[in-house]
Amino acid sequence: MVELDADRLSTRELNLRLRELARAGEEVRVENPGSRHNLGVAVTDSCRITLAGSVGYYCGGLNGGADFVVEGNAGWAVGENQTTGSIVVRRNAGSAVGASLRGGSIVVHGDCGPRAGIYQKGGTILVAGNAGYSAGFMSQAGVLIVVGDVADDVGSSLFEGVIFVGGRLRALGADAVVSEPTDEDEALLATELAAAGIEGSFDWKKLVAGQKLWYFDKKEWEIWRTI
Amino acid sequence: MCGIVGIRLSEPGPVGRHLVEMIDAVQHRGTDSTGFAVHGDETSALRLSLRVFGADADPVALVRAAGGVVEEVHETEGAEDRFFRLTVAGIEEAGIRHLTDLLELGGGVSVHGVGRALTVIKDIGTAREVDARHGVSDLVGTHGLAICRLATESKVDVEHSHPYWARPFSDLSIVHNGQITNYYRFRRLLEQRGYRFATGNDSELIAVYIAVKMSEGRTLEQALTESIDELDGCFTYLIATRDGIGLAKDKFAAKPIVITERNGVTAMASEEVALRRVFPEEIDSYSPGEREVITWLSSTPIGSRPVSSISA
Repeated sequence: MVELDADRLSTRELNLRLRELARAGEEVRVENPGSRHNLGVAVTDSCRITLAGSVGYYCGGLNGGADFVVEGNAGWAVGENQTTGSIVVRRNAGSAVGASLRGGSIVVHGDCGPRAGIYQKGGTILVAGNAGYSAGFMSQAGVLIVVGDVADDVGSSLFEGVIFVGGRLRALGADAVVSEPTDEDEALLATELAAAGIEGSFDWKKLVAGQKLWYFDKKEWEIWRTI
Repeated sequence: MCGIVGIRLSEPGPVGRHLVEMIDAVQHRGTDSTGFAVHGDETSALRLSLRVFGADADPVALVRAAGGVVEEVHETEGAEDRFFRLTVAGIEEAGIRHLTDLLELGGGVSVHGVGRALTVIKDIGTAREVDARHGVSDLVGTHGLAICRLATESKVDVEHSHPYWARPFSDLSIVHNGQITNYYRFRRLLEQRGYRFATGNDSELIAVYIAVKMSEGRTLEQALTESIDELDGCFTYLIATRDGIGLAKDKFAAKPIVITERNGVTAMASEEVALRRVFPEEIDSYSPGEREVITWLSSTPIGSRPVSSISA
């Protein structure tokens, strides 16, 4: 395993080293990440990278194959635009977890801020704690699982993304509707929770698009008023 | 964008130095100007933080004309102007309005802060530059706020920098990240009641708006809670009073703030990287949600987390 000290490297130097080491198939541990931004962005090969503490914004952004572990907190948009690979955040994450996520998985063991999975286009996001305002906003595809509670406006303007909530629902977002999880959904949830090491039974609510916004006609005044 | 930070210590300490470091860590969020508000020991004399841009303006003479006794004069050179920090005896709270009008309406002087504990320093440039010019690091206190500004809604100059004080109320300052979209409505209402605004910045409104509510008997927490319903826009702001710091976050929760409480110190910042300047070790931090109000006041034991969420 290769150890890098983030304190001794600029962000660009660190990220270039990570890309080289990933290409060589090395396992890497980054000491002293110091809540800095843009760590581990654009790693495009398969490898294990551990960040030994908290990171700032956009950690693991554009990930194309690495398996990241963040041992502390993560700032905004962890794993944004990831196509393959995985990111595990041991503590809390900020806003926009997995923004525009296209594939792979992101697991947050603590709580996360607003807009988790905004514009998600694939992959799986699992938040073990609670999620903030507007979770799953405009999600096009993929799965967002929130084991705890969600704040207001969850699932607003969904396309074909699916959201599962194990805790308390508050106000739903525009055009979000609650449906019963299928057996297939329950199996998926069991697999994802087991993979993340989360135990317990939960009262799952499944949120999908009501599809009224998909075919919205501005002359439909009743819908205009209610959505 | 803007980066905002705040810190509260359990006893008087190097608040200025902490604030400079914290803003330096988030300077990428705004480089138009940098400002600081530090609450020091409360004195019987009034502290005036002034910028003097008129060649002939004499702030000491103007203070004397208002009946004040100037006890100390501290002068520094700003990016473009002279800055004065005066200690003035003989002015009561009710006299602050007259004193401020006399200083400002003649042209040549602007008042950046007034209080028995409050010092405000704001200037063009980075945290390091403003510190080098004005000695921010030397300021000792119990709590304070700071901001690096990226202008979005009003001019890029010293006067439109934060923090703002609540003319004519003493010992209240604010830093704000966001935009208030119904700013003119509330400004006109307050102007009709005789309050004078010195700039076209929406953040100045928040300071006066909160101070007026508190002058009418509301607690800081009540005033902040009302602001979330009454003010439109997208905002997270921090406000410092004699008693401590308050925070309000709007219903969209799009302007970040993370908080940590450790070893008797409470620190809050737009990004965790600023908190790490105070606590280099790994920390637990939390982030308030939408429509959340938090206050840390001197009546609140250090280390507790007095959260008042109206979103439950």
